[in-house]
Amino acid sequence: MPCKYKTIRLAIIVWMTLVLLGAFSFGGVWLNIPKLAMLEHTARNLYFHVPMWFTMMALTALSAIHAIQCLRTNNPVSDIRSRIAALIAVIFGILGLTTGSVWAHYTWYEGTNIWWNFDPKQSMAAVQVLIYCAYFALRSALDDPRKRARISAVYNIFAFVTVPFLLYVLPRQLESLHPGAEGNPAFSEITDPIMRVIFYPAVLGFIGVGWLLYTQRVRLARAVMTLQNIEEDEHLQTKT
Amino acid sequence: MMASRKSSSWTNGAIAVLRKDLQLELRNKSVLGMLLIFVLNTMFLILVTAGRGDLEPRTEAALLWIVILFTAALGLGRAFLSEKEQKTGLFLRIHAQATMVYAGKLCYSFLTILCANAVSACIFLLLLGVEVALPSLFILTLLLGTLGLAGATTLLAAIIARTTRSGILLPVLLFPLLVPLLLAAVESTYFSFVGQSFTEGGWAASSGSLLIITSFSGVVITASVLLFDYVWQD
Repeated sequence: MPCKYKTIRLAIIVWMTLVLLGAFSFGGVWLNIPKLAMLEHTARNLYFHVPMWFTMMALTALSAIHAIQCLRTNNPVSDIRSRIAALIAVIFGILGLTTGSVWAHYTWYEGTNIWWNFDPKQSMAAVQVLIYCAYFALRSALDDPRKRARISAVYNIFAFVTVPFLLYVLPRQLESLHPGAEGNPAFSEITDPIMRVIFYPAVLGFIGVGWLLYTQRVRLARAVMTLQNIEEDEHLQTKT
Repeated sequence: MMASRKSSSWTNGAIAVLRKDLQLELRNKSVLGMLLIFVLNTMFLILVTAGRGDLEPRTEAALLWIVILFTAALGLGRAFLSEKEQKTGLFLRIHAQATMVYAGKLCYSFLTILCANAVSACIFLLLLGVEVALPSLFILTLLLGTLGLAGATTLLAAIIARTTRSGILLPVLLFPLLVPLLLAAVESTYFSFVGQSFTEGGWAASSGSLLIITSFSGVVITASVLLFDYVWQD
């Protein structure tokens, strides 16, 4: 098993290196992206900004699935998986917000000093990050590990069922500069085929990086839990 | 025959939980009184700071719903904390099924917050001098919004009753979850302020928002019914 894990890890690292090389290949014969007014080379941010959001979606779904599993089986490992997936999702969410904000500053709001202009999709994504911050606030207010696992799993699922409203229903109703919003062409209509050569591998690569971080943190948290259990057992034995 | 008796006993249980809460509330009117004073205070704060007649209709709608949201967070957070304080939680757990308790508490939350909202809406419209072009749309928005608010808050109130530091936690958990509801409710309220007639900018324009509020309430209440058992049982 560990050998297989290391192989997958190496594969993801090599894959992401190739994606990064492709994303920053300037003036080559292949992979030259069309230069559009205003967008110029910033269009390359598509390879980073959008996959980060996809990774966050995947991780929040994973977090909710493990929360359901935790309620069904009362397994502490499911609680760890749910918590770590939410944590990595928040990190990717913050990265997605940052890359989006910088991208917007140099394209949509070029010439102004605006970094944040409450584009609906941007605001809703920020709210989703806040929801997961609230999840960690709730965890910190529960002391008993079993109770913490169950109650926070309930909140996790409850938050997850309201997220589609935030990300898919509302932004499509409101005016937004993002593709696919009211009156804007969808992503599939405006993206050049040559960009997809990098974009789709980048999506896979970022999900792979998310998976690496997630599994690594889960292994660490499980090790910590095992050590704590051993310590408690020793403590009990010395008492009796 | 068995099924009908079973369902009627379930309804009786839910009504009993609701009646118990309402009776306790009416016997000790301090919470209702405090909610009323809170609403009045907030309204006067808005009035003296924002001034009369200077606000855009959209800002008015947003202010109204923010007041409603804070009133709900203050008033509904107590729905399950009171069981903890009076140490009656165990008694309820023995005598009523979890879904009965949830249904009773949901109705109780809905009624409490409806009273508070009706009061705050009346004061708001009177003091700020807002003219409602389509009162029926305004009332429907208020009713549906209250349902969504009560649906989301009841489960979260049960959650915070299980925590140790519950004072500030409810707004932290509640507000980001309610953003979709709040946006749609403000939109719909705005159209009820400025809409001319049934088709022009009134009902037709706010149908999408009303649909969002309704579906949000449905999703939230369904999820709460499914999840409530895990919060309620020890």
